[in-house]
Amino acid sequence: MAQATIDSGRRWPRGRARRTPGAALGRWSLRGVALLYLGLFILLPVAAILQAGFSDGLTNLRDALDSFGAKGAIELTLIMAAITAVVNGVFGTLLAYVLVRIPFPGRSLVSTIVDVPFAVPTLVAGVMLVALYGPNSVVGGWFDDHGIHVIFARPGILLALLFVTLPLVVRSVQPVLLELDLAEEEAASVLGAGGWTTFRRVVFPALRPAIAAGALLAFARSLGEFGAIVFVSGNIPNETLTAPVLITQLLNPSSFGSSGGPDQAAAVAAVLFGISAVVVLVTEHFVSRRSTERSFA
Amino acid sequence: MNRLQVSPKGVKSSLKAGALVASVAVLSVAAAACGGSSAAAASGGGSGPCKPASSPILTLAAYSNPYDAYGKLTSTFASDWKDKHNGQSLIWQMSFGGSTTQAQNIVNGFPADVYASSTATDVEAVQKAGLITHDWTSDQDGSIVATSLVGFMVRPGNPKGIHNWNDLTKPGVKILTPDPAQSGGARWNIVAAYGAAMRGEVPGYKANDPADAERLLEGIFKNVTVLDKSANDSFKNFEAGNGDVAITYENQALAGIAAGSDDQFVIPAATVSIQTPTVVVDKNAAGHCVAPIVDAFVKYLHTPDAQDVFQSVGYQRPIDVKEAAKGSDGYPPVQDLFTTEDLGGWDQLVSDTVFGPDGAFTQAFKAAKG
Amino acid sequence: MVGVALLYVATLLVAPLVGITYYGLKAGLGTIGDTFQQTDVRHAFYLTFVIMAITVVVNTVFGVVVALVLTRDRFPGKRLMSALVDLPLAVSPVIVGLMAILLFGRGGWFEAFFAAQGIQIIFALPSMVLVTIFISIPFVIREVVPVLEELGTEEEQAAWTLGASRLQTFFRVTLPNIRWGLLYGIALSAARAIGEVGAVLIVSGALQGQTETATLYILRAFDQYQDAQGYVVALTLALFSIVLLIGIETLKHRSSREAR
Repeated sequence: MAQATIDSGRRWPRGRARRTPGAALGRWSLRGVALLYLGLFILLPVAAILQAGFSDGLTNLRDALDSFGAKGAIELTLIMAAITAVVNGVFGTLLAYVLVRIPFPGRSLVSTIVDVPFAVPTLVAGVMLVALYGPNSVVGGWFDDHGIHVIFARPGILLALLFVTLPLVVRSVQPVLLELDLAEEEAASVLGAGGWTTFRRVVFPALRPAIAAGALLAFARSLGEFGAIVFVSGNIPNETLTAPVLITQLLNPSSFGSSGGPDQAAAVAAVLFGISAVVVLVTEHFVSRRSTERSFA
Repeated sequence: MNRLQVSPKGVKSSLKAGALVASVAVLSVAAAACGGSSAAAASGGGSGPCKPASSPILTLAAYSNPYDAYGKLTSTFASDWKDKHNGQSLIWQMSFGGSTTQAQNIVNGFPADVYASSTATDVEAVQKAGLITHDWTSDQDGSIVATSLVGFMVRPGNPKGIHNWNDLTKPGVKILTPDPAQSGGARWNIVAAYGAAMRGEVPGYKANDPADAERLLEGIFKNVTVLDKSANDSFKNFEAGNGDVAITYENQALAGIAAGSDDQFVIPAATVSIQTPTVVVDKNAAGHCVAPIVDAFVKYLHTPDAQDVFQSVGYQRPIDVKEAAKGSDGYPPVQDLFTTEDLGGWDQLVSDTVFGPDGAFTQAFKAAKG
Repeated sequence: MVGVALLYVATLLVAPLVGITYYGLKAGLGTIGDTFQQTDVRHAFYLTFVIMAITVVVNTVFGVVVALVLTRDRFPGKRLMSALVDLPLAVSPVIVGLMAILLFGRGGWFEAFFAAQGIQIIFALPSMVLVTIFISIPFVIREVVPVLEELGTEEEQAAWTLGASRLQTFFRVTLPNIRWGLLYGIALSAARAIGEVGAVLIVSGALQGQTETATLYILRAFDQYQDAQGYVVALTLALFSIVLLIGIETLKHRSSREAR
């Protein structure tokens, strides 16, 4: 989509017509409202967290990290988020491709089902995962007997995260796929390329930014997931305790001998938040989701 | 990208647009605030001379366990009050959650007038924040309204043979207990194990030996598979079929059995008497102009009628420890029922011997889970 | 390939959905009816609805403004604004709750101001609305921006040159053109708002019949041996959101088949 300008043939004198105080006011009032809204609702709370967490310099952060299980929790959260991003990056793309390119009965139903995690409250998802795959269930019991622990162990956390983040990847890739010109793929197959080669050489390069964007968003989302995880993980420090649950624990003083308190919770929250923010910024800067740039890259 | 183009007429309309947006903003914030202020007005809040509302709103924050009991107690109290006070209706608002979480919420601004805690430590946290100004430990019964004790919930027939604290350390036993960072109940469980070991009532562990007590706790926590956020959550988890044994309160076990559970409750030779205090939060009660009412409520909790209600939900043991140890119908006697006072008091337990930086539990937990 | 994709979806998404439906309906119509008769359940639904309504209105109005600014305006730092919009998607609800406590709790930045007015923000409705607004900010904006970009400004410029005012242009030209994206964004925003639990749990204090939303009720129901009721409410919430999303999706397909 190129820059659209209407050339009416009229030439406005430079300067006054475009820079009347009124024009500027109009532009600025809209901008102002947008900035006020985002500033009040997003920047202000972020500032509060940063202030509470770092008012004492790095003391709060150090004390919080010293508290038992804290470092393990952050490490676990990062690893789980990374695995989720990769797994759903693959399956999400696969699903998007299937939904867009392959007609099969029930396709629109599946498409709607993909949005289910957006509609189901996270804690309900957690409860259901425990009921379906917990040690007491048919499936979970079978796993348990064979020494594989799903719920109340790390695989359970992964399951919850995969559930919650799948639509993020699919809905990031799907629109791009829809826009891709089939002609290129058809040309490739006419020239003798097999399905997989076509995908690898023609489709995938065009999808790469969208896949990366979706996966990064899934990563950032996984860092913060609370509702589903607090039910399925067991919350054992250094084993299944994640950073968001750790933050709730830090809010209460006297956790395992450390002083705890909102300031320490804020310090860890700030770190977690910082990582998420960086991920989002990177996604925004290098991986544009705008249709102008992503297709025919 | 295209610039915002503005025609001369556009100035007025963009200002109009801005005004429209701004007024929506103001209205929304006002709507949200109105929801808050009407609640405040109804409770006669704010500073200035106390004018109690015609229908005072009383707020109770309680730990997770006794929702049944307080449901009945608050409604009975409200109807009694109505009879004795010219038909004045009381409106009770209740919140139930992990005891420590509730304490922290109150410290953070939750407007509770009464705090029903599961441990003295949590009450002290609220007191330290300046919200409780009277000496509650000298009140009737030391402010304790109900007692229970710590024991083990096991599967029917006790297949793993859990009878005493050392049985919990057997390999392969999966234990459920709540998270000490969020639940007062969790800390009672830990103190019970610690106390039993220190008093020499656990086979294989020497009396008065902190290192041995630590060894017991380590063995137990090596077997803990889930740390739920409240005593209630932990118990429900067990009832759902997870784990071999849940360390829990007697009243919770009895409630579960009454609700149809086939699981059994086992009391070890030595265990701690759980003493749960309920205290008026002076600052909030004064601010809401309901202090006389909630004072009366707390006094009511110590009356035989109220005690009957507690007993009906499983807090059958008398507040007096010696009497409680004797047991009664459906409540087996306990060989050694001790209190936190016997162990040096909560302060010492929390800051030093058990939960302090070098405390038995702190060290044991690190060793078990590190 | 279809098989693999479907299997993944089935295990991960369908199974839990079926599970909720099964457990929700297992209770039988009698219990379902009783659940909806309970005062605290009705109040919880009412509260959830109120919070959702306020959230949706605020985020729609301001979201459209932000979307317009992002696509039609040009100024330094616009990229930053765009990233800011995506931030709530990545922030843990726990952190959002903590933010509210830091701002409005005892000793918080604005606590003294509101306390002097006698307005309770934290552990009351206002803070619940505020955190819900925060977490659903991105949805309307993310749906409307691509539509606005695709649209271009030809029609709007045409309207201006024909003498329409900005406001007229917005309501007569822009709005109708973005309506499907906008509606879908509103639906997503609504679904997210009614499903919020983490942040609301921290700031509400869970006062039964007062600050207990439908999701918080579910938490309590499972806590207090009322599993059946919990599943019924959970199923209701899920169904409402799904129906909303499907509805918009269907209408959109139908209209796009007519229009283009």
